[in-house]
Formats: sequence, C-alpha cells, structure tokens
Amino acid sequence: MSIEITSLTKSFGAFPAVNDVSLKIETGEMVAFLGPSGSGKTTLLRLIAGLEFADKGEIFFNGENVTIKNANERKAGFVFQSYALFNHMTIFENIAFGLHVAPRAKRLTKEKIRERVLSLLEIIQLSGLENRFPVQLSGGQRQRIAFARALAVEPKVLLLDEPFGALDAKVRRELRTWLGEFHERTRLTSLFVTHDQEEAFEVADRVVIFDKGSVQKIGTPLEIRSGTSNAFVRDFLALDI
Amino acid sequence: MASFIDFRNPPGSDRRADTAIRATAEPLWVRRVVIGIVALFFFFFLFLPLLVVFQGALAKGVDVLKEAFTDHDILHSIWMTLIVALITVPANTAFGIAAAWAITRYRFTGRQVLLALIDLPLWVSPVIGGLIYVLLYGRRGYFGPWLQAHDIKIIFALPGMVLATTFVTFPFVARSLIPLMQAQGVEEEEAALTLGASGLQILRRITLPKIRWGLFYGVILCNARAMGEFGAVSVVSAKISGKTNTMPLEIERLYNDYLFPQAFAVASALSLLALLTLSLKTLAEWKNRRQFEAGQRSLLEPTIEPLHP
Repeated sequence: MSIEITSLTKSFGAFPAVNDVSLKIETGEMVAFLGPSGSGKTTLLRLIAGLEFADKGEIFFNGENVTIKNANERKAGFVFQSYALFNHMTIFENIAFGLHVAPRAKRLTKEKIRERVLSLLEIIQLSGLENRFPVQLSGGQRQRIAFARALAVEPKVLLLDEPFGALDAKVRRELRTWLGEFHERTRLTSLFVTHDQEEAFEVADRVVIFDKGSVQKIGTPLEIRSGTSNAFVRDFLALDI
Repeated sequence: MASFIDFRNPPGSDRRADTAIRATAEPLWVRRVVIGIVALFFFFFLFLPLLVVFQGALAKGVDVLKEAFTDHDILHSIWMTLIVALITVPANTAFGIAAAWAITRYRFTGRQVLLALIDLPLWVSPVIGGLIYVLLYGRRGYFGPWLQAHDIKIIFALPGMVLATTFVTFPFVARSLIPLMQAQGVEEEEAALTLGASGLQILRRITLPKIRWGLFYGVILCNARAMGEFGAVSVVSAKISGKTNTMPLEIERLYNDYLFPQAFAVASALSLLALLTLSLKTLAEWKNRRQFEAGQRSLLEPTIEPLHP
C-alpha cells in the first residue's frame, strides 16, 4: 500500500512536534524515520496510524483520504516500542486478538484463527509458547510476539516504533537481519522509527532524516551517505569526521 | 505507594534502603512505647467497642436476638439498606469508571476542576449532602412545585435516600481507579485500537480486566459507605420505622426508644457486614497492589521518547 502525506502539522501545546511534512512512500518500500529524540518521527508514525490527529495536512492510503479516520478503521499494523502486549492474556490470545475482535461477518472460524496463530508463531520461530503469558518471555521474544500480533490481521502497512530500542545489541542485530529478510519475502510496506543510523541504513530502502519536526533529507542510504550540504544531516551522521 | 514497595525488597537487595532503615531506627524503648500506644489505642477505640456491640446484642439472651430479627420494622430496615446499596453501588460504579476514564485518558479544559469535584463529598459534611437535595427537590425546593404537580415524591422517600447516598459514596470508585489507570498508561488500549477493536471491545477485553481488582476495591468501599451512611440519609428520610428507615437510622430509633438489645442486634448485623467488607477489601488491596506494580514495571522497562522535550 502506498502512503502519501501532504503538509502534515501537529503541535502539542506550543510545541510543534511535526511541522509541515510531505512524503510519498511507495508500495512495498521499507522506509526508516531517523532522527534525534524529540525530532517528531514517532509523532509522525502515530499520525499515520491514527493514534494522533493532525492539526493540518492530509494522509492518503492508496490514494484514499484517511486523515479523519480512526485508528481502528485504518488498521495499520503497529508495533510499539514497549511492545504493549496484553499482559492478562496468553501469547495465543495476544496474537489472536485482532482476529477475535473483527466484525462477526468477517470473523474467521475458531479453527482458522488457531491455524493462523500457530503459523505466525512458526514464522517468528516461537512455536510452542502459545500458552505462556507475556511476563514469562524475554524482551526479544516479546518483541516478536508484538510483531506477530500486528501481522495477524494482515495489515497493508506495518509501522514500527523503535522496534529494537529496548533490546541488547546482539538480539538487536539478529532481529534486524530477520526483519530485513521478512521484508524481502513479503514486500509489505513498512515504516520504522529509529535513532540508530546503522539500523536505518542497513535495513531500509530509503531513509528520511528528521530534525525539529521537519524533514531534513530523504534518500537511499547510498544517496544520503554519499554527501549532502545540509548542515544538520552532516553533523547528525558525523560525515565531517 | 513507594513505602511498601521498598519494604518488599528482600533484605540486602538494596544496600542504600537497608542503611536508611538502620539510620532512622529508634532505640528499642522508643519503639516499644510507640507500638504500645498504638496497641492501647486500637484496643480501647476499635476492638473494645466492637466487642461491646456483640455483647450488647447477646446481653438479653438469644431469644431477644431471634425476636429482633423477626420484627417487621427491623427486617424492613435491612431491606431498605440493601435496596439503597443495590441502586447506589452500580450507579456509582458506572459514574466512577466514566470519571476515571475521562480524567486519565483525555486532556480537556476543566479536568482539574473535575478532579477536585470528585473529592467534594469527602470534604463536606454528609448532612450537607442531604440538605442540597432537600433544597432541590423538597416541597419548597427549586423543583418542588413541579414534582408535586406531577405527584413525584423524592424527599422523604426512597429516591431521595438513593440520591443522598449516591452523593456521599461517589468518590470511592473513581478515586481507586484513577491512580491505577494512570500507572498502567494507554499503550495496550492503543494496540487494541490499531488491531481494529471498537471502544466497547477495548473496555471489555483490555481496560476492565486490567483494573478489575482496583475496581472491586472501590466497589466494596463504596458499598460499605452506602450501607453505613447516616447523616445524609437522615436528612432526606422521613425516619418512619418500617417505611423509610435504613439500618443506621433504625439503630438510632431503637436506641432512643430504650430498646438496647434490639439496637445492638441491628448494630452487630451492620458490623458483621462491615467486617465482611473489610476482609474482601484486604484481599482486593493485595491483588490490586500486584496489578499496580505490574503496570509500573511495564512502564519502567522501555525508554519512551518524550512528546514534550
């Protein structure tokens, strides 16, 4: 699914979190939002998901204006930085949640739901954990469960907010590679927020660099690294050193 | 909340907390005197009165007790107490959830005012809680003439008693939910939203299970106050035994009529209800603390990018 954003603006009180951002993301792309803390990249992701509403500007999914649609109508797959797993439910119930709350007419049968949950567990290489509770899993495992839960409803776009932010370096690298391979296979349009440039440049097809709520630079990793005159980008990527 | 979390650390797990306890520890005799004063206070002001209530009920033998609990007026007062609680508690549960939801989930003008207003019934005398309804719905109140013209009786009848009790017991559910819901944050609700859940599905499947022990705690506290309320109800009830008397009002009536064994019989029944509530409350507190800490833990784990730098 393609995503188009036109002059999107969002302020919290007097603080402009996202300031006049326009972007076009093509179907099947993997795009990284890179920038320092408070640069507006997470807010932009939340605006796209419908978890925040813009003050100005519009958002289009495949050409359809979704600016005023609620998050539960947009159904973008969202993976939270803290995973936001449902702690009172088993892993099975967590992954099946989106399937269980679907409107009755569209809801899958019990067997079909079970089938899909188990196959997702296989994809994320956590088969056999379906009866555990989230607190019984490690950070990396929880991260993958959050991922499977978002994928269960077959979203047209995947939004990841600092997906590996809370993990140690080794697990981080493993999951990053795994995510890259997953995207190669499925070509699901994906956006992810990160403050780690190595992560952004390794996984993404294109990188968008943010500062103070505005886009500073858009391009492929090669284009960005091969040089830019933008002072902030040069400084942030430490290109001068 | 911080204090009991500190004490739950196993000894030696945090050296600073350990030395802090040692550094502030008083000499043995000071500790004994303080504990002794507290124990004496508890004995004379809480334990002894409770004992006397049950003793008073049994003073004239079991037969008088049996008679008391077959007396029409006394049974009716128990019935009235239950009816008032049965209407008040569910109503305040719904109000309390709505208020806690609004305060913890939305930012709106007047939020601080609403937060302060929730506490109002705890700050004013219950008698005032009764009086305001007399001023509104009484014969000479604002809506009095209209109500009389339509033959609706609120004051000196059940509706007034329910209104007054609702006023007095309003804060309990909201107050026990607000800190809990604040600690838990909104991320799980947001996750459910992106998975396509509707507002009602989120409330039923995510929010309510997460707050259930805090809610239970608030509900039984609300129930205890509803059953025991005297001041507010005594203003709006006509105090007609066998018609509009609740248990606390009936106890006063029996006592004023020098029917001491009967008064103590009803009092002991009310005390038993309170003791039952207390033990349920203790259970809920324990469960709630665990849920609260789980909420805190899930908040502490990640470093969330602040929205306002």
